[in-house]
Amino acid sequence: MQKIAFTTSIPVEILLAANKVPVDLNNIFIADQQAAAMVEKAEEAGYPRNTCGWIKGLYSVALESQPEAVIAVMQGDCSNTQALMETLQLKGIKTIPFAFPFERDREGVQLQIKKLMHYFAVDIEQVHSIKQSLEEVRNLLRQIDTMTWQDNLVSGGENHYYLVSSSDFNSDPLQFKKDLYDFIAGAKKRQPFKDEVRLAYIGVPPIFTDLYAVTESMGARIVFNEVQRQFSMPYVTADIYQQYLMYTYPYGAFARLEDIEEQIRLRRVDGVIHYTQTFCYRQIEDMIFREKIDLPFLTLEGEGPGKLDGRSRMRMEAFINMLKNIK
Amino acid sequence: MIGIDLGSRHIKIVQMQKGNVIKKALYDTIQFYRRYGIARQQRLDIDWEEIGFPPDQLTATGYGKITVKIEGAVHIPEIQAHTAGAVFQSGLYNFTLLDIGGQDTKIIKVRGGRVADFLTNDRCAASSGRYMENMADVLGISLTELSLHSEDPVNLSSTCAIFGETEIISKIVEGKSISQLAAGVNYTLYRRFAPQLKHLASDKLVLSGGGAFNTALMKIIAQQTGFDTIRVDDYQFNGAIGCCVYGGN
Repeated sequence: MQKIAFTTSIPVEILLAANKVPVDLNNIFIADQQAAAMVEKAEEAGYPRNTCGWIKGLYSVALESQPEAVIAVMQGDCSNTQALMETLQLKGIKTIPFAFPFERDREGVQLQIKKLMHYFAVDIEQVHSIKQSLEEVRNLLRQIDTMTWQDNLVSGGENHYYLVSSSDFNSDPLQFKKDLYDFIAGAKKRQPFKDEVRLAYIGVPPIFTDLYAVTESMGARIVFNEVQRQFSMPYVTADIYQQYLMYTYPYGAFARLEDIEEQIRLRRVDGVIHYTQTFCYRQIEDMIFREKIDLPFLTLEGEGPGKLDGRSRMRMEAFINMLKNIK
Repeated sequence: MIGIDLGSRHIKIVQMQKGNVIKKALYDTIQFYRRYGIARQQRLDIDWEEIGFPPDQLTATGYGKITVKIEGAVHIPEIQAHTAGAVFQSGLYNFTLLDIGGQDTKIIKVRGGRVADFLTNDRCAASSGRYMENMADVLGISLTELSLHSEDPVNLSSTCAIFGETEIISKIVEGKSISQLAAGVNYTLYRRFAPQLKHLASDKLVLSGGGAFNTALMKIIAQQTGFDTIRVDDYQFNGAIGCCVYGGN
């Protein structure tokens, strides 16, 4: 089966209906032991130093993994994707544009999904049949999420891993389903976490590899991973169009805010960590979240893959300590 | 009680007894580690006898905290150490603390003597003691001289500690005076953290850290913000004093 890579979550059901192997370039990049070298490789090729580390990593991973094509999300994700797509084209990689409509209207979503279905020569029945078959996996992901914030049996890092992996189901939905069942069975036997501090993590997944472990070593646990949860498609929906319309991530800060506010209330968090990538336009959106979210708020910034730097660690420690004192 | 602030430029050690500082010492960071530190299983054993501090209960904080763990010390977060020091030294409970360290600047909103919120400068060393040192070096003046000027500043657009040098050189070529250039450097420092100061504003602003030495900067802050601005007496030792206070509690 041919691999189809993508730059952020897309209607993966279409790829599966077309019998393709979905590959989320982000997951391949960050799980790679040589992730930092991937960034350097892109810089050697000419990517400026003052561009996002993820984009550079994605570029190198796409070249290395040689997929049949890369679906590039031109609207609703990263503002650098256009140049990423163009530089991949320059290297002979086939790219397919996809866009989440700015207006967040059903008609727009429908149009984009239909275009993608047409490209892969699949019809809506095939796609819905895949959607139906994935429902079991998505339910297991919802269960893991509930076990994180309600039952306190799952760590923030585990929650992150399983939810973030659901963008491509680790390229093998059947194996992924088995892994989820095994994990849930194991986690059910645990003693619940006794957290001193409960945190929400909002923003794109971290480029730091040890954020969750460090947070937990400081006596706090992340019980809400905003964007990762969105990748798992947390809402039960009637059709594929509604699914990608309810999905908040590509529709801007205010669409996301609605979900964030609801979840932080529900999950009784003490503070919010907003992660942004260095050089990303989302650093500007930090203003919106800071103003609208009425909870202690820490903005963390990451640049390259690797462990938390000393400064971020110091800020995390001070933030968690402050929350402990407030409680 | 001994408090140690492991700064990026200097290491500050303070010994306190019954609420009074009875002994203090300042060391260059690199020299200190070379001369007094013995690494044992990733912990640093300080030769206290050599330093001349008698054995006592130890509390440490500072930039080096991540990699350097002082043997026998309780390690506390920097933000908390600086806050404890500033509350102790100023006698205030509600204020904004501006701590200008060697490599970073921290703005802490203190309410009821505790940290209510904080911000730090972004990733580079601009608006820190290091920037002051670099700029003073480029101008060929001492930090004391740099800290005197706030009038008629030249406009420096770059806040980068490195690119700032180039800009200063071009202003020297333009014939600007040392006092104008020094004032320009001090204004640049202020502009860098001004948005954060505004964000975590209080009626009282307290300065600490080695950078609080800069009287001109303090004057600029007071003028521009309109806040009642003071600096703690022992500003450079504030973190170490905070360690003693925090540890004592």
